[in-house]
Amino acid sequence: MAEGDPSTDAASATRIVGWQHPWIGYLSSAPAMIIVAVVLAFPVVFAAWQSLFDLSPLQDETPFIGFGNYIDVFSEQTFWSSLGRTAIFVFGVIVLGLTLSIIFAFALNRVVSGLRFIRGLAILPYIVSSVAAALMFRTMFNNEFGFPNQILEMLGFGAIPWLSDGTYAMIVVIFAQVWTDLPLALLFILGGLQTIDKQLTEAALVDGATGLRSAIYISLPLIAPQITLATVWLSFKAVTSLGTVLALTGGGPGDSTQLLTLEMVRLGFDEYETGTAMALVIIIFVLNAALTVSYLGLQRKFGTK
Amino acid sequence: MLWLPLAALVLWTMGPFLISLSVSFKQPAMVFADPGLIPDEPTLDAYIRVLERPGFQKALWNSIVIGFGSLFITLLVGVPAAYAFARFRFRGRHLLLLFSLLPMLAPKVGLMFPLFLLSVELGAFDSRLFLIFVFTGMLLPLAVWLLVGFFQAIPRELEEAAAVDGATQFATIRTVIMPLAIPALITVAVLAFREAWNEFELVLALTQTADSRTLPYELFLMQDATGIADFPIQNAFALLTIVPLVLVYLRIERYVAEGLLSGAVK
Repeated sequence: MAEGDPSTDAASATRIVGWQHPWIGYLSSAPAMIIVAVVLAFPVVFAAWQSLFDLSPLQDETPFIGFGNYIDVFSEQTFWSSLGRTAIFVFGVIVLGLTLSIIFAFALNRVVSGLRFIRGLAILPYIVSSVAAALMFRTMFNNEFGFPNQILEMLGFGAIPWLSDGTYAMIVVIFAQVWTDLPLALLFILGGLQTIDKQLTEAALVDGATGLRSAIYISLPLIAPQITLATVWLSFKAVTSLGTVLALTGGGPGDSTQLLTLEMVRLGFDEYETGTAMALVIIIFVLNAALTVSYLGLQRKFGTK
Repeated sequence: MLWLPLAALVLWTMGPFLISLSVSFKQPAMVFADPGLIPDEPTLDAYIRVLERPGFQKALWNSIVIGFGSLFITLLVGVPAAYAFARFRFRGRHLLLLFSLLPMLAPKVGLMFPLFLLSVELGAFDSRLFLIFVFTGMLLPLAVWLLVGFFQAIPRELEEAAAVDGATQFATIRTVIMPLAIPALITVAVLAFREAWNEFELVLALTQTADSRTLPYELFLMQDATGIADFPIQNAFALLTIVPLVLVYLRIERYVAEGLLSGAVK
């Protein structure tokens, strides 16, 4: 991120400019550091610590129980089934999200200046709240008047019970999640494509490669880092997604879209199992970190040397 | 062949907006009777009903207060920090910068309980001020990252020239650096406002009454309250919360896209 050698940069600055006291640096960064520490760092440490206690507002004592809460979580069948649904959800979001963002980014990268506004349009979902997006998808996939069903019926197929059938509800939730999170993934990949030297792809075309082949064999390997970044982003958002699913299906129908995050809210806010909920928070953290590390590992293994 | 993916992109992005817009101009009963995209009898009825709701008015005001509060404090706190990391030399600055960036990885869902308990402990549960504080913290890592990169890209010679001409450091920052930094400041301001305006999970965890509830939570509650019947009013509500951001966004799309990109490519 830093350009040039920071130590000589800073040295030349202090030589010329007036404020040389070291405290000015601490003083100007302190407010930001304190707010970040309280809002972001403290909760993580606090959750990790609290997850080791048997917490419940109904009892006076809160004994230390070590990994007892984790054992409770792991012995619950609901944990494993919501973990399974989260796995399906995350996998679906990554597959759909990467496919769309790669196709769209290639198209946007070759767009002529008159159509530049399309890039602006593509980022629009970024400014829509998860609740508003969920509502839009609930309207769009309504069983009776939704457009997908209108089109299906026009083509002579039967209507699909999008939101009242568990499997289809999961598909709709995946679509809504990808819709909200695609803009950044798309921007990452587009940014990668724009760094590719045009001569490379042009040379391939001269040598007789088709546009598609040059895209697959030349461009894609070159943007492996940006594809990894997009994967990390999509996966992070999917693992920690709560608002979209809560507002779209509320975990239903039945418990077919009850993800780990919704399970956490149910345990903590509905059943007042604070300690167990904290353990689940930490499990979600670890799951997320493990996935991120494995994407980076995959890129190191199969990416460009 | 280029038109096919581009058409798909436009359809993918705009489809949900257009359907929502279409439904919002219908009477509740007509949503089922007249499912076409263009309403037979368009009406502003749903919008009027949203605007007349006390819940909407209160939530809108809360969103405005909390949005501008978060934006203001993010800049007030983020700019000096970023400038210090970019320009001053002090022991442990790299470590401190890392410490302010790393929490970007902390997912919001994990913050809900700890912050809820903290707010209860501090007597700050259900207060707008606490929400401003939290949203500022949520955006600061990204803000500091973007601003540090931006300040480092400004040639040092500019500041040195001003110093040679006898300007104090504060005057240099005010008259040389800040005008140059306006695109970055606008990007950070918009991102901070968007964070506060759209946030749902933390509002769910940290508020209880209409006195501090913001628009997304109010929309979420209205979905429950109106059941399945009233699609027009829900979509009108959703669109009304999106419109202010769209208007701002259209003017500065280039800055935001490039600001976000610069973080990704480096």
